[in-house]
Amino acid sequence: MTTAAQTLGRLALSWLAVTAAAFVLLRLMPGDPVEIFLDHLSVRSTPETIAAYRQEWGLDGPLVGQFIRWLSGFLSFDWGVSFETGRSVAEDFQARLPYSAGIGFGGMALALVCGYGFGFFSALHPGGWADMASRALAVAGQALPAFAVGLILLWVLGVQLRWINAFGGGPVERILLPMLLVAVFSVGSMARITRAGFLEVKTSPYYRTALAKGRSRTGALWHHGRQAGALTLIAGLAPELAWIVGGTAVAEIVFGVPGVSERVVQAVNHRDYAVLQPYIALVALWVAVVLQAARVLRHALDPRLT
Amino acid sequence: MRRFGLICLGALATCLGLWMAAGGLSDPHAVDLSNRLAHPTASNLLGTDHLGRDLATRVVLGAMPSLMAIALVLAGGIGLGVTAGAVIALAPPALRDAVAWLAETVLAVPTLVTALVLSAIFGAGVWTVAIALIVTTWAPYAITIAALFDRIRGEDYWRASEAMGASLPFSVRLHMLPNAWPAIGALAGADAGRAVVLVASLGFIGLSADTGRPEWGAMIYEYRTFLFTEPRLVLAPVFACAAVTTLLHLLLDNRSDTNRGF
Repeated sequence: MTTAAQTLGRLALSWLAVTAAAFVLLRLMPGDPVEIFLDHLSVRSTPETIAAYRQEWGLDGPLVGQFIRWLSGFLSFDWGVSFETGRSVAEDFQARLPYSAGIGFGGMALALVCGYGFGFFSALHPGGWADMASRALAVAGQALPAFAVGLILLWVLGVQLRWINAFGGGPVERILLPMLLVAVFSVGSMARITRAGFLEVKTSPYYRTALAKGRSRTGALWHHGRQAGALTLIAGLAPELAWIVGGTAVAEIVFGVPGVSERVVQAVNHRDYAVLQPYIALVALWVAVVLQAARVLRHALDPRLT
Repeated sequence: MRRFGLICLGALATCLGLWMAAGGLSDPHAVDLSNRLAHPTASNLLGTDHLGRDLATRVVLGAMPSLMAIALVLAGGIGLGVTAGAVIALAPPALRDAVAWLAETVLAVPTLVTALVLSAIFGAGVWTVAIALIVTTWAPYAITIAALFDRIRGEDYWRASEAMGASLPFSVRLHMLPNAWPAIGALAGADAGRAVVLVASLGFIGLSADTGRPEWGAMIYEYRTFLFTEPRLVLAPVFACAAVTTLLHLLLDNRSDTNRGF
């Protein structure tokens, strides 16, 4: 019970810290969004109009008060209106979030499963095909820009083979391909991490004892190593998580998916922090939840961990 | 691996030098509408783009923003990381825990999102990319260096140098860093590659500093409409980018893959 409360507390604390930091940072942006907006409309702005907009957008008063007001709004799904389009941010995100969440979550799940499998087989036969493939994937994942690979994928599948209708807006182009792109760039390094965990088991006396008792190498490694493999993979998850978020954004832009990230890039160009702020809060929430879940899972797998 | 990398670098430099000496480098902005989308010839090794600009020149000059970002990131990231690692290993517990927590948190911060937010605040550019990378890449160095510190502090030579009254910076330079270079090099190879990829990614999503100046990501973005008709325009910067990141890996990652298992 206390651990559950502790986990939730840690989650809330780190989320609040990141969100507050982003809030302050965004307020440092040069240029007043109200003035930019009014300039855009070419309206002669009186001090009264500016003050009215400031109040409507929650930009008046001290920073702490602004943050608390924004926070309570965020928690009650009142995310304000976009400075640029004047539409409700929450509604905008509601329509776009399923794409981004699907790509990110699906990509991560796929990468975890494949990475674990590749890691197991490359530890089972070092120098074998799985080892070579995962090493190649790991190097390629760091050396090649994801968007370029996505573009080439579009060219090969859409133009050369004509298997897909590029930018056609079907589920394959909007979910499956972006998901694959996110996963492929993560599988290599996940496999290398898992492989290290399995290899450590291979040097241990209990593995040799299992072999001596007549178990097959596959059986012994799976039986005695699967937990260690999973533990190392989960422990090394943080940098992968960072990639998943960035990779989802890249994949959305390459494949023309109407997801959240596409909207955010637009918002960056227009300094629309009504859109940026909930995006950062959502990303922080997703990262914090997965990290804490990983922590809980590690404890479940290995109760010796403190 | 490193020798192979050096050979590749030498070959690349020689080819580039010969090409430049032969007058291959022309004005990247010289528009020649009568020579649009020309196929590769002796004077335009990679052909020309939709405005008749020499593609080879643009690809070569497009390396500049990436190289600049690499230099900034390596200097900043390693400097900050080594300092933070020393703090985690040596500072009083309160400070140590705070820095260690920060390092572990930063591991999960998405670089691209940081770069997006920073471009919104400071405007896009090489500096923004470099800062975003420094902010998110120092953590692995710090964690590696801190672990190394913990190990070395038990070694006889470290205690001997302490007993002789050597100052901390001196001991760090003499005993710590030589042990740390292989690990730092491996991380630096990956980070340098990531800097190239991030500059290109930001350029691709339209956040490069100056769309007129050649930059790989911006070029790929500009030429993406020709992907289906003239793939050479897109593939040239893509391959340049991939070649540079691979080369960086070969050069900086001199850790041989020793744990091959049995």
